[in-house]
Amino acid sequence: MLSFQSSKNLLSLTEDLLVRIYELLAAESDRKSFRLVCREFRRIDTLTRRHLRVIRIEFLPILLRKYPRLQSLDLSACPRIDDGVVSLLLTRVGPGSNSPILGHWAWGLKSLVLSRATGLRFSGLEMLARACPCLESVDVSYCCGFGDREAAALSSAVGLRELNMDKCLQLTDVGLAKIAVGCSKLEKLSLKWCMEMTDLGIDLLCKKCVDLKYLDVSYLKVTNESLHSIASLLKLEVLGLMACPLIDDVGLHFIERGCPSLKVIDVSRCEGVSSSGLIFVVRGHRNLLELKAGYCLSELSTALLHQMKNLNHLEVIRIDGARISETSFQVISANCKSLVEIGLSKCLGVTNMGIMRLVSACINLRVLNLTCCHSITDAAISAIAYSCRSLVCLKVESCNMITEKGLCQLGSFCLLLEEIDLTDCCGVNDKGLEYLSRCSELSCLKLGLCTNISNKGLSYIGFNCLKIHELDLYRCTGIGDDGLEALSNGCKKLRKLNLSYCNEVSDRGLGYIGRLEELSDLEMRALHKITGVGLEAVAVGCKRLADLDMKHCEKVGDSGFWALAYYSKNLRQINLSYCGISDMALCMVMGNLSRLQEAKLVHLSNCTVEGVELALRACCVRIKKVKLFAPLRFMLSSEILEILHARGCIIRWD
Amino acid sequence: MDLKERVCGELQKEVPKGASFTNFNTQHQQKWEDPSSTSDYSTRIEPPFQAFNQTSQTQSLLLCNNQIKVPMQDGSVNDLLQASKIQDWDPSAMLNNLSFLGQKIHQLQDLVYLIIGRKGQVLGGPDELLVQQQQLVTADLTSIIVQLISTAGSLLPSVKQTLSAATTSLGQCGEFGGVVFPSSAQGLNDGVQPQNAGGSKVSEPPNSVDITSNNGNEQSNHIIEEHELKDEEDAEEGENLLPGTYEILQLEKEEILAPHTHFCTICGKGFKRDANLRMHMRGHGEEYKTPGALAKPTKESSSEPTIIKRYSCPYAGCKRNKDHKKFQPLKTILCVKNHYKRTHCDKSYICSRCNTKKFSVIADLKTHEKHCGKDKWLCSCGTTFSRKDKLFGHITLFQGHTPAIPSDEIKAAPAGTSDGATNKVGSVNFNLSSYVSSESEVQSSSMDIKGGIDDAVGYFSPLSFDTCNFGGFHEFPRPPFDDSESSFAFLLSRSCNYSQKSGEE
Repeated sequence: MLSFQSSKNLLSLTEDLLVRIYELLAAESDRKSFRLVCREFRRIDTLTRRHLRVIRIEFLPILLRKYPRLQSLDLSACPRIDDGVVSLLLTRVGPGSNSPILGHWAWGLKSLVLSRATGLRFSGLEMLARACPCLESVDVSYCCGFGDREAAALSSAVGLRELNMDKCLQLTDVGLAKIAVGCSKLEKLSLKWCMEMTDLGIDLLCKKCVDLKYLDVSYLKVTNESLHSIASLLKLEVLGLMACPLIDDVGLHFIERGCPSLKVIDVSRCEGVSSSGLIFVVRGHRNLLELKAGYCLSELSTALLHQMKNLNHLEVIRIDGARISETSFQVISANCKSLVEIGLSKCLGVTNMGIMRLVSACINLRVLNLTCCHSITDAAISAIAYSCRSLVCLKVESCNMITEKGLCQLGSFCLLLEEIDLTDCCGVNDKGLEYLSRCSELSCLKLGLCTNISNKGLSYIGFNCLKIHELDLYRCTGIGDDGLEALSNGCKKLRKLNLSYCNEVSDRGLGYIGRLEELSDLEMRALHKITGVGLEAVAVGCKRLADLDMKHCEKVGDSGFWALAYYSKNLRQINLSYCGISDMALCMVMGNLSRLQEAKLVHLSNCTVEGVELALRACCVRIKKVKLFAPLRFMLSSEILEILHARGCIIRWD
Repeated sequence: MDLKERVCGELQKEVPKGASFTNFNTQHQQKWEDPSSTSDYSTRIEPPFQAFNQTSQTQSLLLCNNQIKVPMQDGSVNDLLQASKIQDWDPSAMLNNLSFLGQKIHQLQDLVYLIIGRKGQVLGGPDELLVQQQQLVTADLTSIIVQLISTAGSLLPSVKQTLSAATTSLGQCGEFGGVVFPSSAQGLNDGVQPQNAGGSKVSEPPNSVDITSNNGNEQSNHIIEEHELKDEEDAEEGENLLPGTYEILQLEKEEILAPHTHFCTICGKGFKRDANLRMHMRGHGEEYKTPGALAKPTKESSSEPTIIKRYSCPYAGCKRNKDHKKFQPLKTILCVKNHYKRTHCDKSYICSRCNTKKFSVIADLKTHEKHCGKDKWLCSCGTTFSRKDKLFGHITLFQGHTPAIPSDEIKAAPAGTSDGATNKVGSVNFNLSSYVSSESEVQSSSMDIKGGIDDAVGYFSPLSFDTCNFGGFHEFPRPPFDDSESSFAFLLSRSCNYSQKSGEE
């Protein structure tokens, strides 16, 4: 509560000062509080707001009218957006719109996120592209139905600089050619999983869009020919080649001589690439900043190591899955002094001595991934903690020999630590968590399969790590309701929580979970003690809940699901497999949750075919992905399957 | 015919004298010193050699079993030799020609008689035989007609010039080559190689005297000819034969356009390839089945030095015509034929699929038809390509061109799906009359949406949406719950009361 005096002071602030203050508010919740202060503040919010992420499409017209200066619009959470909606939006904005100019909101728009907008087709896309003359960035990733026509529609946005077309499965060279010719200013393009793409399209792209700085062709079946074309891109800085099966060392030889501006290259999981290919890359690009070569090297060879000596600016290196010797660590640490991130996941030959040598010189290290490096112990962790004081992220999954001593060192020195993955580290106990809780910046903590921790340990976390937003307690069987109580008291920012197979958790525990207002992801598989009461508490309390996985929660009755249908209006994904939900409740859940995009509905023992059909009909306009029991394929009416298909819904039969 | 033999006569006359050789050699040197005299060189000196080589070439190409006709024609040849200097129309030569034609007609008559006679005897496959006979007669008649035309063609004023007279003779030479030439060869060599029909090399004297160094070249040339490779005219574009190092032969229009160049001396049937003729000859008796008769006739004379032959197009002003300033010779007869047809003839073959593309060479049409309709790669400029990489090359080259997406796809993909299915969706879930029931409506005109503000409300509001949604349950084909309405109504009242949250995050 503001006193009269202070409120007077606040109101005396000039508009531009308020705008400045507003712009410093990073978190969305803070901005929300800001605009709820008074009308004047709300006006500032209205005028200053540049970015809008809409989660309920029904408010879209009002919001677009309210915020005239939008530059960035994110519609990725609107499952129901389609050509008709776009047409309406561009025709008139909202009820009682007094703006005579059609689609005024679109004029200043620079960025548009349409990820997963599977209901949209080329005509709507073209309307959008034409209505937004300033459009610079478009994201249509995971629009699996998008193809050449959609690409052609996008190509009318001449000023486009950034385009993400990941998993536009129907896109072929023709569509890419449309974009390459239409959007010649393109600087950033991602084509992951556009499986129809061939060398011809990439070649044309490289000839037409010479300003490309970022190109991701990961998972494509392109060959070395494409690399030959890509090598001619003078401004290219980031090149993603992850899991391109047909690319080999010959192709990387082209890269050695081309791409003079190359800073980042990712050849992870490229089966054809060996260390000689990487030698080409390293030899040609001394200023390389990031080298990601996970799971493509069997060994970090001495020849490659010799070349890597020259990479003095290297900041990120990932050689996951390779065999590495202790001397290699010595060479890396002696030469690559500016390393910030090292990925050694599943590397063979990572020892305490190796890690000690590595961290002795790489004191700027911020991210270290030692997943499945089984032989490291507290000695290595202590060395890391002592040397790398600015460590932010440490992943030591399955490093069983880490105990409370290592965590003690981390808690003493790495006070900036934000993320730690201790999954499957059975050496972690309550005492270890107590030490770790000294890292008050911790935001992501993964304790899956740590069976030695109990409510006591969790209470330390709940008491000290107030910034935590992701917590994984998968199969932490020692955790019960008391631990969750401590957690809900402290970690109010928790957004993602995994309680699967924590058998001790009961309805009381879920009651505490219901206090976490920020919670959006909750996984609680196989909690046999919980009933509808617990689910209702979660549904009522966690208003932001978007993803709920309650597979095998067999005791939850219809009352819980009904509550879910009423309250969890923001739910986007749900897994109800093996639940005792009835026909009626299923229809309510599927029909009433207007944001639902994905549902897994396998082995619903209390449901009939008619019930499932009805439920699908109730949600068919917005559902994007549904997993069903395989025999239902022949039992459901063909009409509903056709409708789902037409709306771009993917059905997985299990 | 007369002209051809006249040329041979000319040749024979000149060869023994040696005058033409000296002449040629001087011209040759002159040519090397001064390229400007090319035209002079080719007009004056070249024709005899050209004619000569043409004859030798056709001879080498064709296996001519002309023994029957040889005696018959000997006399006429001698006559011709005397009259060879006459450049204008020669009535006696014409008479000769006509008498030859008469003979051919008689032969044909005999054949028809034979067919009639045989008819009763043959037992099996009468249909097949009839077809064969018909083909034989047709082929004979065709060859007679062609010869008649070419004889008449020699009377045309355009061919009365010295040069073209010589070349006309060539045309006929090629046409009748297999039939007539050996007789004249015999006349020429005067019994030196009396009965070595077909395979005999008449051209020995000039060749051996003149150009021996090109032997190897000539060999390879022969191979190409024999296999009748489809040499593109431009194939020898890069060839830098110095003028004068090869002979220029010029076939006449009629000969180029003649369907067959090899004729059976017994039945008169025409063939495009000598090999086919040789195969055909086997049917005329055991003597044609010997390895010698079946062998390629050129093999035996391969060791003898020959001269490189190049061809000129008879069309005046054509770059392939020897009078052209930048004359580029054609490599083989096939090249000449294809070039002439492609460049100077009407394109009479029309593709039956697209009805637009026309060709003058039937092989071109066939090649086209193989790919016609497969030109699915379309550019925004309207150009079609049979291959994607060709289209992409085109797009790379031209600024602003993009690949066009076929229009039929528009109807197929989005409209088709939305028309059917979305309509259903609309009918099931949206009962508001204002709801845009079909996406296609929206597509056709975004402005054409009926109703006013309520529309948008109906479209966006979760409440009205849900209301229609559940109202729509009545329309389901199999409503499972009869008593569902009350419970849903109850639920809806609760869900309506649920406070509307702001839709932002």
